[in-house]
Amino acid sequence: MFLLNARITAMREVARGMAVISIAAPEIAAIVRAGQFVNLGWAGVFLRRPFSVYRADGERIEVVLKAVGRGTSQLLAMGPGDVISCLGPLGHGFDLEAGSRTAVLISGGLGVAPMPLAAKEASALGMRVTWVHGARSIDELCSESAGDEVIWATDDGSRGIAGTAISAAPDGDVVLACGPNRMLAAVADRWPEALVAVETYMGCGTGVCLGCAVPLTRGGYDRACKEGPVYRAADIDWAALPSHLSYAVTV
Amino acid sequence: MTVDMSVAVAGMKLRSPVLAASGAFGYGTEVPLLDRRALGGMVSKGIFLRPRTGSPPPRIVETPSGMLNAIGLQGPGVDALIRDYAPQWASWDFPVLVNINGESVSEYGDLVGRLDGVPGVAGFEINISCPNVEQGGLYFGNDPRAAAAVTEAVRRRTTLPVWVKLTPMVTDIGVIARAVEGAGADALCAVNTFVGMSIDLNAYKPRLSFRTGGLSGPAIRPLAIHLAHQAARAVRIPVIGIGGVTNAEDALEFLVAGCSAVQVGTATFINPRAIAEIHDGISAHLELRHLNSLAELPRYLPRD
Ligand SMILES: Cc1cc2nc3c(=O)[nH]c(=O)nc-3n(C[C@H](O)[C@H](O)[C@H](O)COP(=O)(O)OP(=O)(O)OC[C@H]3O[C@@H](n4cnc5c(N)ncnc54)[C@H](O)[C@@H]3O)c2cc1C
Ligand SMILES: Cc1cc2nc3c(=O)[nH]c(=O)nc-3n(C[C@H](O)[C@H](O)[C@H](O)COP(=O)(O)O)c2cc1C
Ligand code: FES
Repeated sequence: MFLLNARITAMREVARGMAVISIAAPEIAAIVRAGQFVNLGWAGVFLRRPFSVYRADGERIEVVLKAVGRGTSQLLAMGPGDVISCLGPLGHGFDLEAGSRTAVLISGGLGVAPMPLAAKEASALGMRVTWVHGARSIDELCSESAGDEVIWATDDGSRGIAGTAISAAPDGDVVLACGPNRMLAAVADRWPEALVAVETYMGCGTGVCLGCAVPLTRGGYDRACKEGPVYRAADIDWAALPSHLSYAVTV
Repeated sequence: MTVDMSVAVAGMKLRSPVLAASGAFGYGTEVPLLDRRALGGMVSKGIFLRPRTGSPPPRIVETPSGMLNAIGLQGPGVDALIRDYAPQWASWDFPVLVNINGESVSEYGDLVGRLDGVPGVAGFEINISCPNVEQGGLYFGNDPRAAAAVTEAVRRRTTLPVWVKLTPMVTDIGVIARAVEGAGADALCAVNTFVGMSIDLNAYKPRLSFRTGGLSGPAIRPLAIHLAHQAARAVRIPVIGIGGVTNAEDALEFLVAGCSAVQVGTATFINPRAIAEIHDGISAHLELRHLNSLAELPRYLPRD
């Protein structure tokens, strides 16, 4: 785990109001795994804000976000040259095992966040990657994708299949999903073995405060920031997981 | 010149006046980027005799300059603590105190009885901000008699240091401070979180599933300094200041106001290096003022 004062190097828009921010964080870029996150801090917010790592190359990591509140608005108002505090990589990402032939990645809205890294890791393990890429409408659909095949899905049919990403998704040897907790609960119904990245409010992001409780079907809670944020879909007690969080407000 | 940063709290020698507060470091085994040289000691996450699942989410809400938490004292229970954590503490070069919780006077006593003599356990911090289930859920910490009864029950079971952690939700903290001093406490910790509430205007209901939570962070600092100061004026035993310490100046304010040491909680969520920076900042301050040791820091402590 590294704590870096990291410079924002670039920013690009990928959908209406949705931007990718590149951050110079070589130590984190070198080791981050798909599904892990960074906890970003700057002068305008009290607690840090967690963001999945979207892409990583030798020098930089990227995060993708939309303004959903005070912190995300402030972050989007920053630009190249601004420095933010970056703690990571954090959490337990997607455990992909060699031997599976096909991987289906399902994202809703901002749930695209962990998918480019997941596509890269699945491809490196020899899997054929299908990314089902959903949002409410074409304006809210992140324009970037990865993988061998991309299936676009919008609720209003303005791009690709009309309907949810789940209804548009084929089956695969492994299914990975990220999006609003409500969508992930539906993923759990169809693919109990899917690996899903959930979100919770977080205090520390490092496992010490117990603020990020994820209710488990076997009873009790564990920590989204440590054992998670990626879980086997069937392990989560979806009825007890707050579903109003705004991670993927666009679905 | 190196400044002598050590302090003795009721006979327990600490190499630094900066301690890790209960609930912000778990059991100390997973602390990120910990700089041990700066750490005077650690207080464990609160423990009960039996395992507790804790409250349902959401458990955390950000507030202006602070946060509300309702973790619900999730914990593995004393058997798991003795098996999994205490053996690790035994090899560390700073003392670990266990944060003790109970639903009845006898439960506090029994818990300390179980832990007394376990290698790795250097002392106890008694969290009296718990509801007394036998007395209709009134908080031990609000009632001088109940607070004293808990302190006595614990005192009888151990010769290790007993620190009693006071709640700020009282009309006169001096009364409670004197009551637990009289019942045999070695030191006081002031203060625990303030009870607060935050409302979600989309759902028209509280943001925390537990309805209320404990407010911590810089938002409570001036209140906490005042309460720690009042407690220190009321007693002869040492007081450890807690509440919103984020940097060396904050810690120095508590120390000058009459505290022997400070604990840091919430600040470490934002800055995992906070404890080391606070330690080094205090040392730099003393050096700048040509003070050779923390003991030489002037205090403002007129006694009641
Ligand atoms: C593991 C993880 C990964 C995430 N990855 C991404 C990502 O890649 N892209 C993205 O846009 N968002 C992501 N989120 C959600 C993002 O952290 C929140 O949208 C953000 O914290 C909101 O901050 P704010 O100040 O704009 O909102 P406000 O509502 O003003 O924030 C107030 C407080 O609530 C917390 N909070 C509010 N909404 C959420 C939420 N949905 N999830 C968690 N905490 C919240 C904030 O952190 C802050 O402490 C992720 C969340 C988690 C837990
Ligand atoms: C997430 C969290 C968990 C806490 N858990 C405990 C606990 O188990 N026992 C206890 O006595 N105090 C607990 N506290 C209170 C802190 O130890 C401390 O008294 C309080 O947070 C004020 O200090 P701070 O502003 O530095 O955080 C907790 C605080 C937080 C934020
Ligand atoms: S956010 Fe603190 S334990 Fe997960």
